[in-house]
Amino acid sequence: MTLLAPLALLGLLFVPLIIAFYLLRLRRNEHAVSSTFLWQQLVRDVEANAPWQRLRRSLLLLLQLLLVVLLAVLVARPTTERQAGLARDLVLVIDASASMAATDVAPTRLAAAKRAAIAALNELPSDGRVSVIAATETARVIANEASDRGRVTRAIESIEQSAAPGQLGDALKLAGELAERARGAEILVVTDDAASGAPDVAVGAPVRVLTVGMDRDNQAIAALAVRADPSGLKRTVFASVANYSDSRVVRRLRILADGSAITARDLQLEAVSRADVVIDELPAGTRVVEARLTEIPAGEAGAMAGPRDLLALDDAAWAIVPPDRLQRILLVGPGNAYIQTALSLLPNVELYGATAEEYATTTGKDKFDLFVFDGVLPDELPDAAVLAIAPPSSSPLGTVTGTITSPAIGQGGTDEPLLRSVDLSRLHVARAQRMELPDWARMVLPTATGSLPLIYSGLRDGLATAVIAFDLRQSDLPLQVAWPILASNLAGELLGIAPTAVEPIAPASPVELPLGPGVVALRITRPDASVTELAPGATGASSVTFVETRQLGVYRVEAIIEPEASPSPGSSPSPSPSPAAFPSASPAAASASPDPSASVPPSSPEPSDDPGIPVGPEDAPLFFAVDLFSVEESNIAPGDGARLAALGSEPDPEVAEAGVARDEWWPFLVAIALVLLLLEWLVYERDGARRIAAGTRRAMGSLTRTRRRAS
Amino acid sequence: MSGPTTGGAGGGAKPVFLPSAVDPTVFDEAFLRQLERLMLVSRSAVRGGLKGVRRSVKRGQSVEFTDYRDYALGDDLRSLDWNVYARLEKLLIKLFIEEEDVTVHILLDASASMGGGAPDKLVFAKRAAAALAYVGLASYDRVSIAILQGRVARRLPAARGIGRIFQVMADLSAVQPSAGPTDIFAACRHYAAQLRQRGPLLLISDLFDDGIDRAISELAGTRCEVAVLHTLSTDELDPPLEGDLRLVDRETGAGVDITADLGTIDAYKARLADWQAHLEGISARRRVSYVPTPTTLPLADLVFAELRRRRVVA
Repeated sequence: MTLLAPLALLGLLFVPLIIAFYLLRLRRNEHAVSSTFLWQQLVRDVEANAPWQRLRRSLLLLLQLLLVVLLAVLVARPTTERQAGLARDLVLVIDASASMAATDVAPTRLAAAKRAAIAALNELPSDGRVSVIAATETARVIANEASDRGRVTRAIESIEQSAAPGQLGDALKLAGELAERARGAEILVVTDDAASGAPDVAVGAPVRVLTVGMDRDNQAIAALAVRADPSGLKRTVFASVANYSDSRVVRRLRILADGSAITARDLQLEAVSRADVVIDELPAGTRVVEARLTEIPAGEAGAMAGPRDLLALDDAAWAIVPPDRLQRILLVGPGNAYIQTALSLLPNVELYGATAEEYATTTGKDKFDLFVFDGVLPDELPDAAVLAIAPPSSSPLGTVTGTITSPAIGQGGTDEPLLRSVDLSRLHVARAQRMELPDWARMVLPTATGSLPLIYSGLRDGLATAVIAFDLRQSDLPLQVAWPILASNLAGELLGIAPTAVEPIAPASPVELPLGPGVVALRITRPDASVTELAPGATGASSVTFVETRQLGVYRVEAIIEPEASPSPGSSPSPSPSPAAFPSASPAAASASPDPSASVPPSSPEPSDDPGIPVGPEDAPLFFAVDLFSVEESNIAPGDGARLAALGSEPDPEVAEAGVARDEWWPFLVAIALVLLLLEWLVYERDGARRIAAGTRRAMGSLTRTRRRAS
Repeated sequence: MSGPTTGGAGGGAKPVFLPSAVDPTVFDEAFLRQLERLMLVSRSAVRGGLKGVRRSVKRGQSVEFTDYRDYALGDDLRSLDWNVYARLEKLLIKLFIEEEDVTVHILLDASASMGGGAPDKLVFAKRAAAALAYVGLASYDRVSIAILQGRVARRLPAARGIGRIFQVMADLSAVQPSAGPTDIFAACRHYAAQLRQRGPLLLISDLFDDGIDRAISELAGTRCEVAVLHTLSTDELDPPLEGDLRLVDRETGAGVDITADLGTIDAYKARLADWQAHLEGISARRRVSYVPTPTTLPLADLVFAELRRRRVVA
């Protein structure tokens, strides 16, 4: 035993002080009695019984002296020393990734890891310094070279469970850098080591691993997506459920549309397998699809259900259904009733018309999703999808080398998506432009010789582009059943009517949110209903970045409009062009009317709002979902940590002198002191205690008597 | 006695019929009521008054025959039973019970220790003395009251006849607790030395004295019929003490340091019971009646229950 503060033993000087107080104490209150005759005899009796009686009388003094001695010793900090099990400089890495939320170790792996880490601190030398790194989606230093155990413990306790895949590699790299500051430093990693592969880092310090976790029984929703079918009319939910357990389980997958359940399916999942589920019956207008994986209630499936699901984080997933957005098509040309009819019949499409002259002066071209050039071509192609019909001259869309008359129609590719359900075998073309197939395009319909393209499509500089080499009026295509189908397929491909769903966002990754005109800030409601407001860093910014996506679930984004912004678009300070800026502003409603007899050109285009921006003052709130679709985290099978330990270097034998760990005695001494205090109080109040005891006995006695009488 | 009682105890602090020398705080209205009750009861029940007052062990001149004995030279010839001589030709002397003039001795301890307690012991002792004196006077006995103070027994004027009760009360009213220490043994010996006429002797005292054993022996040696009325107040029977105290003796001024807790009080009570048992034992050996009389005891109970039970009162 050693004393860390031997000077504190000076506190023992209080012992004579207390004795002196005892000797000096007690100016007794005088009390007159008739005679002290009996009392004197009593005192003689008492003294005859010494020393025990004297001891009993001074029991208080004895207790107080003991207490003082104990306190003095306590302040002197007695300790026992032993060999330390850890290096003097320790970098503690605690894995807090999603898989650490598994409940195979009560209450969670993370809590067990914290316990293990705090317990490991006892092996630290007395002058040891600890840096703590929380390994979540990022590596975060939460304590740096702290020598105060309490602070380290608090730092460890403050680590919160993350719902994101962990980056143990980053944390190890950071730990290695921290460890390099001191010779002989050591890295202690507390993890479940559930990742499939070891991180690709080399650490310049020895790595020790404490593993937590026992079981691998987990089922997860591995994917959830909403897709539109090619017609763009129906939405399909696609879910994939994975079983990482090595036994067969039955689980129930519930699908909710905007919070109300639409279907539930019981899935039999083989060991270590996936099952895919497709659900067609998604109600129209659904914005949010939620999938929940639950265990089947015990009464229904009994023993079939299999081992329980240990990780809850991956048992729910959300997908956002892309909003049905109005697509705008500008038809440029002399006017063609067939094209107008076919395009205006498409769902969610607004058709505008312009002549070639008007096109040159039209502003706001960036608001259209598709330009159809019927027999004309502008000097400068728009920065959007283009369908060119019988282009009159060479352009980036294709080189026109002349015309061909009555070409024999060739065979299109069998798996060509544009020709799905389209039979062009009886197509006759009177005259077509002789074109060469550009290298960005794929042949859709060749001539019979196969060398010349009649229809081709592709991505030109990232823009969907299709070319029909013949004028429709020079063919019998508009009179065939195939035409509206071909038009629909063309529009689908060019407009992206089957747009990819709003992709789920990985936890803790940033999201870029667009800002509409007049929007000064965005109000974001997190899944737990907490609200944050996000203002752009600079005025005029077109988007803001939201990074607090640590919670899994659906985030709701609402725009906050500048209060003084007038509803009149003309005065809007928005940098985007307003409809008032168009030279000939007139309603374009007529363009949408499918009247084939309407003479071309229809009225000048004037889009009514900003189609390109999904969030704006008038728009419904935007949603995005944060999902944990991570095999690494869902596969919670714990490892033995050997791979991680292998990343470290061998301990340096020169500096690996073991420090001295100290066990302080104070908790034990404090307990004794408390007991002493209690005893002292009892002795001081023993009359009261005895009175209470006697009262209790009396009460018990009368109770028994009453009971006996009653019996 | 009938005169004053019919006058009624007035509503004032001091009944109008009482002599001014009677202390109304000692012999208050409640006491007078008790005395009244004592009188009523004594008419039938206490005809004999205090025990021994009636009968003497001596044979003497009276009308009541008790025995015969052989004639001896010098006997009064008037006592010869001539009828027996005529029949048996034997000279026998008739013996008669002598009717004595009996004195009731009441020894009142007025030491400083009696001047305290709650209820006050001396007040109780005075009332008890007055009540016993009344019983004595009612049966035509001489009542001799002595106050034990210091080392002497101060006799009050002896009284005889019921009419003197107020004089006795007035005399008792004047008694104050002694200022200095009192030696009961010496005082008792002093009284015993002066004692001429035998009769019941009642010692009213708290007996707080080292020499109390010898005092009892001394009184027993007078061949009177001795009764000791051990007067203790409630706060002596069950002291309401707590904490660290210095107990100061009223009589000697000596102090005793105690830490009063339940244990101490229990020990005190045990000690008190031992002491009382010891006194009772000594008294029994000396044929003395030992009567514990707490100051809360009503006087009627004292006279008619406690004293009669112990055959002090006939």
